[in-house]
Amino acid sequence: MADNSSTQQLFDLWKKQVDEGTQAWLKMAGQGQAPDPQAFWRPFMDQGMQAWSKVMTQGTLSPDLLAQWKQFLDQWIAAWSKVLEQAMGTENFAQAMGRQLEGFLNVSGPVKKAAEQQIEAGLSTLGLPSRTQVIGLAKQVAGLEDKIEGLEDRLDAVLARLDGLAGKKAAG
Amino acid sequence: MKDELFTMTPDMPAMSPEMLARWQEELRRNSLRMKHFSEMVMNPKEPEIGPTPREEIYRKGKSRLWRYASKRTVKTPLLFVPNLGISRPYIFDLMRKGSFIEHMTELGFDFYLVDWGVFGPEDNGLTLEYAVTKILPRLAKKALESSGATEMSVLGYCMGAPLSLSWLASTPEFPVKNFIDMAGPVDFSQVGLFGLWLDARYFDVDKYVDTLGAIPADMVKMGFKLLKPTMDVSTNLNLWWNLWNPDYVAGFNALNKWANEYLPFPGEFFRQWVKEYYQQNRLYKGELTMGGRPVRLGSIRCPVLAVGAKEDNIAPPGCVKPLIGAVSSTDKDYVELPGGHISLIAGRGASVHCWPKVSSWLGARS
Repeated sequence: MADNSSTQQLFDLWKKQVDEGTQAWLKMAGQGQAPDPQAFWRPFMDQGMQAWSKVMTQGTLSPDLLAQWKQFLDQWIAAWSKVLEQAMGTENFAQAMGRQLEGFLNVSGPVKKAAEQQIEAGLSTLGLPSRTQVIGLAKQVAGLEDKIEGLEDRLDAVLARLDGLAGKKAAG
Repeated sequence: MKDELFTMTPDMPAMSPEMLARWQEELRRNSLRMKHFSEMVMNPKEPEIGPTPREEIYRKGKSRLWRYASKRTVKTPLLFVPNLGISRPYIFDLMRKGSFIEHMTELGFDFYLVDWGVFGPEDNGLTLEYAVTKILPRLAKKALESSGATEMSVLGYCMGAPLSLSWLASTPEFPVKNFIDMAGPVDFSQVGLFGLWLDARYFDVDKYVDTLGAIPADMVKMGFKLLKPTMDVSTNLNLWWNLWNPDYVAGFNALNKWANEYLPFPGEFFRQWVKEYYQQNRLYKGELTMGGRPVRLGSIRCPVLAVGAKEDNIAPPGCVKPLIGAVSSTDKDYVELPGGHISLIAGRGASVHCWPKVSSWLGARS
């Protein structure tokens, strides 16, 4: 079994570095500077090195070391997940994502339309049915299926009424 | 004492026989990790999914109704309604000894599954209302006919719950015996990150659907990956850690196949889903109409069980639980179980926490 207390120590150390990193990052973002990703990641790298050197000086190596490292990584990922979830749960993030999507649609809309028109023209030149025609045919088949089901339901209703009438007649 | 300890060189610290055995075990695991890794990369095997035998009862357009083999000792049949789009329903019958459907059929439930199908551009005009008023009632009717029963229990999972509720709450004459909402959002004002991202102030669903026609599978994938950005890292880390275990690898392969098979949404369906459910919360507010009929959750009077998952970030417990207050049933219960949206119903934890809870609740009322 992994030694939970030493894992906790490593995790606490890491958490401290995360706080420092986040503060550095927020400070820069608040000053209107372009965020430097290295400033955010550097504390993590420092912490990783510190953690390893601490582990390596703890005496005889045991396979528990791997379990501890895995546990540490799990906590690291869980903490990251929480940080990201908080960041993504803000109105600013939703707004930024909305703007990104809008930009994507503004670009992809005309491109998609032009590509569709070209493909339709190409297929028409080759004498092949276009995508629109095939889709239209599929819709017609679906419509027919609905109509058949409607008829089936009405037939069921008529049969049920006939059964009812036959039952009444037999009883009378 | 020192003589009993193994040392490779005089300079290295002494190692006890127990420690040596543990290192040997670790080395064995590492060699298995390498072996399984090379098999996964060089000779990937298609995982065997859907082990429970089944037959197709009915087909409407792309949608199918499946009936699973069972002893059918439970009187009331069960109709399982999963989500439309997003992912394939074989997650509910993923693999032997890891399947919700297998669990239920072994207990004698007459199990029917609605498989909405994979929609293409020809289905872009398919509305949510059509799915709720035409497809679902039709498949439910066929399930009732096929079972020979007069009543039926309905289990809605994820989006399948609000879809089933919209159908049942607008069709009080349907003979529903019991209803289970498993991780299905009802009060969309408490639906978490998706609720915020799809807010009308930030997300123009009309522009989205009008431009793209349908919601491509890649977009759906992006949305779900963004919801939990660290998921892939932790999945791969856990895979590496457990790669020595052939059972884990088999389970991973099956789940990984499912997790990477995203499905598109029909455009009009998505428009209605986002607008009326996420943005306007009309199901919970009682402002929804389906096929010209009002959808009133209060018209549901059968026994109801709502199941929330503690770590669900797609349908957090806060948006599932309000169903209990909204229905008129006297026999109603809410349970919150460990796990996330998927692990609530699939995987080892589900077989311990969720499946027995659902089957015992339903069994006592069927």
